[in-house]
This record gives sequence, structure tokens and C-alpha cells, in this order.
Amino acid sequence: MTFLTARSTEQAVSELALRGDELLVLAGGTDVMVQYQRREIQHSSWLQIRRIKELQRIDIATGDRLNIGALTSHRVISLDPLVARWAPALATACSTVGGWQTQEAGTIGGNICNASPAADLAPPLLAADATVTLMSSRGSRTMPLSEFILGRRSTARQPDELATALELKPLPDRAGEVYLKLGPRRAMEVALVGLAVRLMFDDDGVVIDARVAVGSVAPAPFRSQEAERALIGSRFNDVAAIEAAAAALTADAAPIDDARAPAVYRRRVLSPLLARAIAQCQNQTIRN
Amino acid sequence: MSALGSSAARSDGPVKVRGQARYTVDVEVSGMLHCVIARTTVAAGRIIRLDVSKARALPGVHAVITALEAPTHRTGLAVNDQPIFASTYISYEGEPIAAVAADTKAIARRAVELIEFEFEETIPMVDLDESVAEGARLVHPDWQTFSLVAPCERYDNVAGEVFADPQGVDSAFAQAAHVVVDEYQVGRQYQAYLEPKAVVAEYVSGRYLIQISHQYPFSLRNRLAAALGVRSSDVRVIGHHIGGGFGGKLDLGIEPYAALLAKVTGRAVKLVQERTEDLITCPSRENAIIRIRSAVDVDGKVLGRDLDVLLDSGAAAGDTPYLCSIALFMAGGAYRIGPTRVRARAIYTNTAPTGAFRGVNGTYLIFAVERHLDHIAEVVGVDRMAIRLANILNDGDKLLSGQTLDDASILGEAFAEVEKVAPWVMETRPPSTDSTSVLRGIGIAATPWLTNSMPGEATLRLADDGTICLISAANDNGSGAVTMGLRQIAAEEFDLSVEDVTTTLPDTDTQGFDGGSQGSRTTHVVGRAVHESAIKLRQKIFDVASKHFEVDVTDLEIVAGAVGVLGVPSLRLPLAEVAMIARRTVGSLGATASYAPALPSYDPSCATGFLFTTFPNPTYHVHLAEVEVDQVTGNVSVTRYIVAQEVGKAINPAGVYGQIQGAVTQGIGYALYEGIDIGNDGRYQQRTLASYRLPLAPDIPRVEALLLEHPNPNGPFGAKGVAEPPIVPVAAAIGNAISNAVGYQITSLPIRPNDVLDAIEAGRKMRQK
Amino acid sequence: MRLSLRVNSQDYAADVEPGTSLLDVLRDELHLTGTKEGCVEGECGACTVLVDGRPLDACLVAAHGLEGTEVTTIEGIGTADSMSSLQKAMVEAGGVQCGFCTPGIVMTLTALIAESPNPTEHEIRVALAGNICRCTGYAQIVDAVLAHTSELQIASKDTM
Repeated sequence: MTFLTARSTEQAVSELALRGDELLVLAGGTDVMVQYQRREIQHSSWLQIRRIKELQRIDIATGDRLNIGALTSHRVISLDPLVARWAPALATACSTVGGWQTQEAGTIGGNICNASPAADLAPPLLAADATVTLMSSRGSRTMPLSEFILGRRSTARQPDELATALELKPLPDRAGEVYLKLGPRRAMEVALVGLAVRLMFDDDGVVIDARVAVGSVAPAPFRSQEAERALIGSRFNDVAAIEAAAAALTADAAPIDDARAPAVYRRRVLSPLLARAIAQCQNQTIRN
Repeated sequence: MSALGSSAARSDGPVKVRGQARYTVDVEVSGMLHCVIARTTVAAGRIIRLDVSKARALPGVHAVITALEAPTHRTGLAVNDQPIFASTYISYEGEPIAAVAADTKAIARRAVELIEFEFEETIPMVDLDESVAEGARLVHPDWQTFSLVAPCERYDNVAGEVFADPQGVDSAFAQAAHVVVDEYQVGRQYQAYLEPKAVVAEYVSGRYLIQISHQYPFSLRNRLAAALGVRSSDVRVIGHHIGGGFGGKLDLGIEPYAALLAKVTGRAVKLVQERTEDLITCPSRENAIIRIRSAVDVDGKVLGRDLDVLLDSGAAAGDTPYLCSIALFMAGGAYRIGPTRVRARAIYTNTAPTGAFRGVNGTYLIFAVERHLDHIAEVVGVDRMAIRLANILNDGDKLLSGQTLDDASILGEAFAEVEKVAPWVMETRPPSTDSTSVLRGIGIAATPWLTNSMPGEATLRLADDGTICLISAANDNGSGAVTMGLRQIAAEEFDLSVEDVTTTLPDTDTQGFDGGSQGSRTTHVVGRAVHESAIKLRQKIFDVASKHFEVDVTDLEIVAGAVGVLGVPSLRLPLAEVAMIARRTVGSLGATASYAPALPSYDPSCATGFLFTTFPNPTYHVHLAEVEVDQVTGNVSVTRYIVAQEVGKAINPAGVYGQIQGAVTQGIGYALYEGIDIGNDGRYQQRTLASYRLPLAPDIPRVEALLLEHPNPNGPFGAKGVAEPPIVPVAAAIGNAISNAVGYQITSLPIRPNDVLDAIEAGRKMRQK
Repeated sequence: MRLSLRVNSQDYAADVEPGTSLLDVLRDELHLTGTKEGCVEGECGACTVLVDGRPLDACLVAAHGLEGTEVTTIEGIGTADSMSSLQKAMVEAGGVQCGFCTPGIVMTLTALIAESPNPTEHEIRVALAGNICRCTGYAQIVDAVLAHTSELQIASKDTM
């Protein structure tokens, strides 16, 4: 039975190289500790990575992409001025995870690697064309987030790999983005639907690019490329385009019944929620 | 100096805010063992084999007990139907089959996993209509062998039935201008106290010592003694601070397991429930089906009514046979109705036994009555406020039990108070057809409610330092009734500051009977006992002082903690000196009084199976809710909430407000968020606080509380019970508000977002026709 | 497995299995029972403590990973002789009923006021979203913070 607290990326990576398949990797603990307390997982060897300082940072990287260390907390991300400017939907999503305590403990890397179908950070990251960087003793690789998340609680991370950073495309000029989280209370909800929309416009107000990403309506969060295509070329308040996008999104979704809500609820809300998200993106663009 | 009417801080506030208050979960006894209960994982079945030998053999395990090592007789509050352990058949998911005592909780849990339990699953009875139907499979095939505690009318899966069938009901329906028919379905509500159930038990010198956070120590003593087959004086219950109860910690629960293990092992045994275990086995507020039919005239006056209620008892009757009687009191709510037939049945199902939660079934009975009234208003085309004011109860009106409400006109006053701060606007327009706008609605609901009349005893002793010790088994599960109200009453009697009155925690060995923290009774009943003992103690103090001053007792007064002679300011004898003089002469000074409220009269022939027969010391309540409904999500926001409540006399305004705000918050949870779905397998689908949603700080409005004070001559300084009733009309007010907002009658609780969207759609379709 | 911990400016050692929560260590090993267990799943906030000033649910913090941090529990608020002024405000405003959620709430509010000395009602409620109170309905807890911060404001004006 061991518990090792890694203080550097290097230390974590070398531990994972030695015995990655035995180790339980612990970041914020908001998922892993719950599972452990419920006796759903039994590990005797723990690797605590939450204290790796060099992975807790937010920068603008080369090529103007926003780079966030995997162990940056939801709380820090939600309050960061760079994120507020360049990835406001991500800031919103981080501020909706649980409550203050959850946001202090939890990390962006933990949220993504735990890969709950309802992970709040996944939709805005997908809408920002995010990539994940993984490091191991074999080297480092970077892949699109959409390829990293494979299914319910399943990712492409190998047992000897450590997720070190997420990189996103910043919100361009003449664009707006939102994250809308569906749940009956104002906090502490596991998203019943988590919808991120990013719309980019030209000078005439025509949509030149769109991202529609959704969580909690399939085993993994995903982008609805059909919905995105329906919006490209549309103008403000183009009812037909919005309806087509909504229909495409609803067709792509496969929600289930669970203890939190029935599938029929998740399904029926998608269309009006998408319309609301689109309207908010438009308004945001006008304001900026 | 007057302590009454001041928002004096509660005496246990400092220890609680510093984390120094000891709850049962904090108790440690040297050498104590840890108990974990082994529970069934299915809701119904035949037990084939139970083998605990491997569990017993695990190192660190001191004992494992089953039905073979425990008394096998059944006990209960109304029907003796609950065993300590299941032995031949399973009646609900989570039913105890064994209990382990081990050195650590982790070892005890591991031992439970080693228990071999073989059973044959049977289809559980879950649906209420199916369970009550002719020829339904019996939840308890041997129900006829269960003896009765109270004369319940029972048969098959019916644990208790109240039936009232006066003359005139059918003729009212024959003459009616309209017959309005409604059916309401309501789900369970879990008390969700923050401190999970816990107990520390010891068996010392032939007696059981139970340390526990419990609302009713004296009842627990009797119930535990009955379950263990011993005299009640062989059980001592010591109460600790209670981390919330709300009715869930009012009856026998996990105590027998710790007690039996303490006897078998010779060690102290501590049992603390895990949250899921606590949730799925808690005696929650029952789910129910309410069917109500009213014969009304053209103005909406109720000429006659038929009310049929099915209450889900779960696998044990608990208190539900008594709760059937509440249907008789609530059948008209705050309004006059004609002859009414009432049938309320408590039904056995293969689910966790239900029990008391603040307001008991008043919360859904008033939901039904008030929703139904809004429906009647819609049918006859009368404004919702006008129909209420036209039919409201008045002084001298009778409940269906024959009890007269002498002061029901307070209801009218309460409506008037609400009107002052929220003038009613008659509205005629249907909801907006714009499907993205916010919908707004207003709902009104009113109710009378009772004050529990179980007796209580208090002793006041004059301490050496001139302070007063208030000794009673009264406790509060947070309300502050003891640490504020009773303390203030005692301080008032001796013109002391509240800091000079000390209170106790319960101990059944040293205190007199108290009827428990329930039904808002403590301030009223025990406050009166405090008042009566204060009168006696003051007399004894005056006797000592009169000899000392050589004056007549009629010339004495108590001012600022000293006895004085009227008109002679220089003559002052501080109470500390009175105590010392008394010590040398007559012995220490103390006095005890008991108060048992007189019960109002009623007509015993009003119904069969009528077990809870009076509605003592009624109070009156009017609530108004404003809501906003998001048409996209179905989410509901309560934007304004007003309570007009009759309190008799507000002993501690901050305490009163805290009870109202807290009760309304629980009511909002009941109305909107807290849902327990029970599957066909009899199991709860919501099993943690992640899916059983409790109201959070950002969700809840500030309640505007308008207090009416008509002092009750029976209550201490006029006080009436305050803490329970504010939850009763909340779901009704919110249900009425949402229905108003969406233009469709809501008929179930909780009102979840999907239900709201269904109602919006149904309302729209209806108006298109 | 051994661990060391610094709680309320005092150093402690303990020997527990890896994965044991800070909550269990505080209550069972250090006998600091002011921090309460309500759900063990990060929903109720009754176990809120401060780690380097940040509010966390102790039930979800692994005790072994805390070397070099400062843990503050309810026992570390105020002094041996007196409550903090926030604690006093809580009692006076009626923000305490059964008291089981209270230590966790005091920790969250202490962190809030340190970060934001003059929070609005909305900010207070959002900060408290991870702390369930079943008794009070929250209004008097909010009142306590508002009374406390306005008193602080008055006090600081007096010293200017």
C-alpha cells in the first residue's frame, strides 16, 4: 500500500512508467474519492498529482492558442481574465461545477480524464477545438479532445501517460460563445444537458463557422457537425436554420433515463435550449 | 427587564458555532465497538438460508446477531408489526437481517460482506391501488397474528382505515351545479437531517444505557424496552444535541441492534448510518394518492365532498393509522364545506416503512384541497381569491370531527395581512403564447394546523449563585424552543437575564416525562409547565424572604434577580442569598410542574377508525407564492414568498422567523426538488444527496413573515406552537402559482421541470381547441 | 502508512491506509470532531475545512497528500477564549439551529470574507451553494454575514 505525492511532471511520469497500470491517479478527488468511499474501486497504490505546481497555469501559447495546465482548478479558470476574454464558455462551465468546494479541488485535467458523459468542461472545450497533451517516458503526444474521449469514462490515455495541458482556440473577433447547463437547482447539479455553442460571424453578420457541442445526451460529449453545418451561412434570427440545427442536434442525441431525469426531458429541451444558446451568442457578438 | 419578545441568542449557539457541541456521532466511549447492520438488497422474498459463520470468524469481529439471537416478537406504534430482524420473509429493501459488532467500522463492513444470505425473490407490492385491491397479494401473510396497540380498523393490506360517512353527501351531489373531480399523486419526502442516525449503546449492571440524538427520549425508552422485552426502567436514554430530526428521529429505529450487541459483547457499541442507508430506510413522509370530488353550486360553494386517500405505510404501519385521521381535519382545509365523506387508508407495500415528517400528511392534503379549489374556481369562473374569502372558516365553525374552532376568524385577518403587502390583482388573461418568455404566476393557500398536546414536565431549581436551573427532557431538533423560548420564559418569571438560566439535555433517569420535540408543542406545553413551576418556586422564595424581612409575602416582588419589598427600595435580597438562607433552614428550593393541555371536545361518532381525535390549540396560516417559470427548461424560481401566521405571542422573533424560513424552504424542496421514484422492484431510485436534491442557498427566496398575535390563554404568555405549520401550505401555494403561470392544473408532487413542460404543452393544446 | 499534517498551526502525525480521507483523520485520529460527516460524497459541505485558505470538502481530500499545507478546521477559528466576530454574528442573527452544518458554513464564510470583504447577498448565496442547511432556509445565515461585514466596515472607518 503506497501513496506518493508527485511534485513535478517528471516525477509523475517516471512513476507512471514504472507501474502505471497499478496506480490510482488522484487529482482533485471529486470523482475518485467518491468512488473509493463507495468501495467501487480498490487500489492499494496511489499517485497524487494535485500538487504539481508547474501544471497549474494559464497562458497564451504560440499561435495565440490558450494553454491551460491540466491541474489548474475550476475555480482558478472561472476567475481568470485570459479565460474570460478568450474562452468565456469555459469560464462559465467551470463556475457551474458543483459548488465552491468542488471548484477548488477539481481540475480541468481531472474532469476530462474522468470522462463522465456529463463532464461540464468537455462541451466548451470541444467547441474551442481543444487538444490534449499527454506525456510519458516515451515522449509526448497531442491529440484533439474529440479523439481523446472514447466513451463513458473511457479515454485514450495509456496507463503510463499523464495529461499535462489542454490547448484551445481562443474566441475570435466577431464571435460569441456560451455554455448552458440544464438542471433544476442553481448549483451542485450534474448537468442534465450541457450545451456549448460558439458562433463566428463575418462583417455582414453571416455565420462563417459554428461549433455545437453537447454533453449528457450520449455516452460521451460530442460535436454535432450536422447542427453546425445547418448554421453556417445563416444570418441572425434565421428561424429555418435554427430549426434545422436543432433537429440535427436532437437526431444526434441518445439520452437515457436515470435517477436525475428521464430521457424524454433531455430530448425535448435540446431544441429550445439550442435556440437560446444561438440567441445569446448573437447578443454577445453584438455587444463586443 | 423583559426577556420576552426579544431575539435573545440561543444558549447553545456558541458551542455549535465553535464545533464544540457534541452530537451522538461525536461520542466516544472507551473500548467501544462499531456496528454495521446487514440489510436486504431486494424488496420482497422468501428467506431460505442465512449463514453468518464466516462473518463471526473474521478477526476483529466480536459478535454477529440475527433473528436467532434477538427477540422475535413484533412491535409498533399502532400495530405490532415490525420485527427487529427479518426471519422468514423479506418485506422491504434495506430490512435488517443481521448486525455485526467489530473493532472498527471497516472490519464490520467486511464481515457483512461475508454473510451468506439466500432468498427467493418475489414480486413486491408497490402500487397503492394494486395493494388495496381485492385479492391482492398480502405484504404480511400473517397480519392477523399482529396484535394492536391502538384499535385500528384493518384488513388484508390495509393497516388502518378511517371512514366518515355523514348524511347528505349523495344528495349534495345530486343537486350540484357542477361536480369537480380531481386525483393527486404525491411522492415521498426524506427528512435529510444533516446528522445521520447514530446511537451509542451500553449494557451496564443489567440496564441498557442509550446515548442518542432523539426527538422523543421517553417514547424511545418505552419502545426500545418493548422491543427488547424488558421493563422501560431497565432502559436509560441520554440525549445529545440533535443534528436535525424533523420527525425522522421520533420513533424506534436502529437502537435495538446496538443495544443487543452491547449486551452480547459487554462493550459499548456505536452505530452510525451511512447516508444512502439512512435515506433508503428512513421513515419518510409517505407517498399518497388523493381522490377528491366536490359538488359545487354556481358560485363555487362546496355543497358536498368525497375524499379518498391512500397512504403508503410501507412495510410497517408505523404512525400511518393515526395519520388517516388527519384527513378528517383537512378535508375542507381553511374553508367551509358541506357534508363530506372521508375514507383514508394506510396501505402496506413492500417498501421502506414511512413515518412522520414535519406537517405529516397535512402537506399533501392541503395541496389537494387547495389545488382542487383553484380548479373549482376555474370551472365556475370565479376569481381564486374571491372564492376563498367567500368560503373561509369563521369563529364557531366546526371541523368534520365535531370540534369547534372558536377563533377561526383569524384566517380572515391573515388574508387581510397578506393583502396589505401583496394586493391581489384579479386576472383574466391566459398565459402568454410566446414560447420563450418567462411565465409568471401567483398562488394562495391557507390552512389551520394543530399544536401537539402531549404533556410535559419541567423542574426549576434555584442554584447557589442565584441562577435558575431549568431541568426537563424537552429537547429541540434545532428550533431553539428550549435554548431560547423556555429559557426566556424562565428568565421572565424571575426578572433575570437569559444568561442566568441554564438548561439540560434529556436524561430519562433524572427528568420527568416530556412528549418530545414534535408538533410544535415544546414552547406551548413545556413553556406552560415552566410557568407553573415558576409560580411554585416563586412562592417558596417568597416564603424564605418574608421570614427574612419579616413582612407578608404579599409585600414582596422579584426585580432584577433579587427579592424586594414593595415600596422600600433599600430592602433587597439577591436570589443567591435566598438560596443560602434556604439551605440552612428549609433545604434547597425547587419546584416541578406538569402540563397536559385540555383536549377540545369532538364527536366520537364522526368516523370509524378515528385514532387521532383532536386538533388542539389550532393556529391559522395564509401563504402566497410568486413564481417564474422558464418555458425552455421547465425550471421554476420562487421569486416571492409571504407567510401570515398566527403565533399567539412571539417569545423570540428571530427564533420564530427561523422556523418559518426553514419550514418554507423544506416545503419548496417538497414542491420542486425532492423526488423519490420507487421502481417496480420496490427500490428507491434516488439514493444519495446528488440525486435526492435538497434546496440550496441560491435557490431560496427570503420569506416575508407577517406575525399575528392573539395570545392563547393556555400558552405561556400566550404562545402557540410555531415550528411545524409553516411547511403545511407551501406545496399548495407553489402548485397553485405554477398552475396559474402555465394555465394548466398541476396534479402531482414534486413538480419537476419535465412536469412543468408537460403542463405548458397540455395547457396550450387545451386553449387551441 | 504514516503521514504528517499541520492543522490549526499544530503539527500532527498519523498512520492510516492510503486513501483515508482528511475527514476521517481529523475525527478519528486527531479527535477534532468539530468537522462533521454528512454524506461522504462532496454534496453537503458539513466537512468543509480550509487548506491553504481554500475551502474543500475534507471527505474528498486524501490525507496523505497534504505535507506542506496549512489545514484550518473549525477548532482553529477564534481563540481559546472567544469566538471570531463572524461566529458571533452567526449566533446573534439566528443563523444557527441544529448546528450540524454550522462548522462547515463558518469555514466557507471565513474564506469568503477573506477573499471578498464586502460580499453582496447574491455572492454570499453562491459561495454557500456547496453547504446544505436543512434547518434555517439560509436567510439568517446571509443576515449574519451582512451584519458582520457592515460592522467591519464601520470599525475600519473608525480607525481611519
